[in-house]
Amino acid sequence: MTKLLEWLLGISVVMSTWGLLTFDLLDLKLPPVYKEVAWPMPVYLLVVFGCYSLATVGYRVATFNDCNEASQELQAQIKEAKKDLQKKGLKF
Amino acid sequence: ATGVDQVVGMGLVAFSLILFSYYTVWVIVLPFVDSDHIIQKYFLPREYSVILPGVAALILILCVAFIGAVTWRNRKPKKVD
Repeated sequence: MTKLLEWLLGISVVMSTWGLLTFDLLDLKLPPVYKEVAWPMPVYLLVVFGCYSLATVGYRVATFNDCNEASQELQAQIKEAKKDLQKKGLKF
Repeated sequence: ATGVDQVVGMGLVAFSLILFSYYTVWVIVLPFVDSDHIIQKYFLPREYSVILPGVAALILILCVAFIGAVTWRNRKPKKVD
């Protein structure tokens, strides 16, 4: 089974469970509190996923390994290379 | 990462934590709380917990479409000088 089919199957199982609970298609006679919690669930899961993505991006931006020494060393090497090539006749 | 990067990054983390907490209380905790409890006045009616993210998603899609349209309109023929 392809990944697409797996995801579609999983999503349809979740959505049909949600539909059954929200529209009371099985007449389960649950206390109405649970219906109140169930019906915003798809939107809630999307918002939670968005928050998780935002937090992950923000955290990885804040903890990114900058390598300042390597950067300065590289820039010095570029300057040196430019000087060397100009001496040998290459026009920049 | 240093300076502005750290501030922006941790700001995003803090914002998403606050948003997650508020939204979780709104959607999952509040139905189990008495309707005359003091906490209820800090939250909008339940319908807005679906309407507001819907509107936000719509605005996001409009922004993406706008950027895409402007980029498409500004595309130049193959030879880029």
